[in-house]
Amino acid sequence: MSTEGCKFVYDPDLAGFELAPDHPFKPLRIELTRSLLSEVGLLSEADIVRPAPLDEDDILMVHDRRFVDAVKSVSVAGKAANDATLAAFGLGTSDNPLFDDMHDKIARVCAATVTAVELVADGRALRTANLAGGLHHALRDRASGFCIYNDLAIAIRRAVDHYGLRVAYLDLDAHHGDGVQWLFYDEPDVLTVSLHESGRYLFPGTGHTYETGKDAGRGTAVNVPLEPFTEDGSFLECFDMVVPRAIERFAPDLIVLQAGADMHRFDPLADLWLSLDGMGKAYRRVVDLAESFTGGRLVVTGGGGYDPYQTVPRAWARLWAEVTGQLLPDDLPTAWRERWQQRLGVTLPAVSGEDPTGWSPAPRRAAITSRNRSVAERLLANLEKIWRLPATVRGRSYQA
Amino acid sequence: MLVSDVMTRKVVAIGPDTPIRDVQALMEQRNIRHFPILQSRSSAEPDELVGIVSDRDVRLVGADHPRAPAAVTAADPISRLMVHPVLTAHPDDPIEETAKVLRENKIGAMPVMDEGRLVGIVTGIDMLDALVRMSGVYEAASRIEVEVANRPGALAELLRHIAARNVNVSSVLTTRGDPDTVTFVLRVATVDGHGLARFLRAQGFSVPWPPAPSLDGQAPSHGRPAPADDDPTPQA
Repeated sequence: MSTEGCKFVYDPDLAGFELAPDHPFKPLRIELTRSLLSEVGLLSEADIVRPAPLDEDDILMVHDRRFVDAVKSVSVAGKAANDATLAAFGLGTSDNPLFDDMHDKIARVCAATVTAVELVADGRALRTANLAGGLHHALRDRASGFCIYNDLAIAIRRAVDHYGLRVAYLDLDAHHGDGVQWLFYDEPDVLTVSLHESGRYLFPGTGHTYETGKDAGRGTAVNVPLEPFTEDGSFLECFDMVVPRAIERFAPDLIVLQAGADMHRFDPLADLWLSLDGMGKAYRRVVDLAESFTGGRLVVTGGGGYDPYQTVPRAWARLWAEVTGQLLPDDLPTAWRERWQQRLGVTLPAVSGEDPTGWSPAPRRAAITSRNRSVAERLLANLEKIWRLPATVRGRSYQA
Repeated sequence: MLVSDVMTRKVVAIGPDTPIRDVQALMEQRNIRHFPILQSRSSAEPDELVGIVSDRDVRLVGADHPRAPAAVTAADPISRLMVHPVLTAHPDDPIEETAKVLRENKIGAMPVMDEGRLVGIVTGIDMLDALVRMSGVYEAASRIEVEVANRPGALAELLRHIAARNVNVSSVLTTRGDPDTVTFVLRVATVDGHGLARFLRAQGFSVPWPPAPSLDGQAPSHGRPAPADDDPTPQA
């Protein structure tokens, strides 16, 4: 397979800003990924699509007008932080600091994800990527967890309302995909599936197995909370137990993958212990699921990933390689490495893979694997019961 | 948070002469578990609260059960079953006080009275709802527990450090173990709960949750030499 039918939505503006100088969320990692892909020959100019402009109305299909107005009002330089009214919108904190032109910059990210979905929905592409997207924590009226607007929800909204598609949203980020889940929690045409580190330990604290959707959307939210230090084997086992069955049962027209890269062992903000190899295998499975259930239609985005230079570009280069059916070469281009090392002042790896020989095994590996397995088993048993209910009674919640 | 914030205002009350079978039917139809019993009085005075019954009292009537009330039939008036005098709450009572009264008396609900008039009813479930709301669990947050000395200013000092990192606190709950320490359960609106925990530990606080990454004696590094991860300086 070649990159035919695959499009990479990109514009330098998507990578050319920071939320704050020391903020862990680094848009620049997108440009590291893009340049890496170009220089190893996996991405040509013909594969790249510029995002189409986005109407504010599309944002307002998901977000409250008052919230959007608040974001716009602080999108001018020099606006004071710590404004009490902003705090109610989750703005002006160390997680979601104010920055210049924040409305326009994040609206562009949303535009890119909408473009990625439209390319597939229109049949102009089979699989698309917007690695700048994946802002899964943003809520209807509130910025949360580094996310101002929820590009995923805006794009899924468009796929459902404008194209009449059933969308399966799959979230592999180490953090629960709460924003997307809550925004579609009562809707029958959007399935949200999230694998994440358990909310007992990690932001945002939600993503319990009993969050399964409500009303007409009952049975369309699926959550697999995983133990800290979960490694490749256990992660993929849980994936295989839950995800294919949920997608088969839901029968989507399109899969949207949020491929946050913070489940990697070296990520400083979360405690899952996947390797690049395990992540690549998960990506491959998603591409295969799209082949099996959506005629191949797949949109992938980025997301978290706070080892932004050593890990994230290699993870997302693999993602693009899997999406396009290409092989990432073992050696990374010297010119690429040297250019970025010089610019960033960090040492970058010379190879695309990892040698886990020196890695210590996870503490309590057997206990973690067994606990994750039992969570997935019980989750699936509960979901199967809900899915078997006739649609007319499924929406009624259990009486206590 | 006060009783008036959590109570149910639309109360279904019944008269003392209502037949038990009618009350049984009403409970099933309306899915209600507690009925205040009101006796009408002359003219201007509000109805008098003379008793209360719970679903358990009513359900056992006529049942072949050792705890079924003896010599009471479904045709009898509810006054034969009602409990009185009635423990009541006031709309301005703090909910924690109300929760304590419910718990200590092992009852499920209290009528809420204001100047002799029935204005609502408050139940154990309302208390749970209040606890859930007070815990801030509906907001996206990282959960951390910090143990401090039980002395004036300890919480202020903790919050000053959190404020220095420009992190918003969604809720604070307090638990007590021994008399010398207090544990605060905080929900903080930040993705980097571990970073905040590390920072607080570096400031000398005891942070039992989230557990430090060095579980079971593992090195705290994520498998490669630790970067300046424990740098206590605020990040933004």
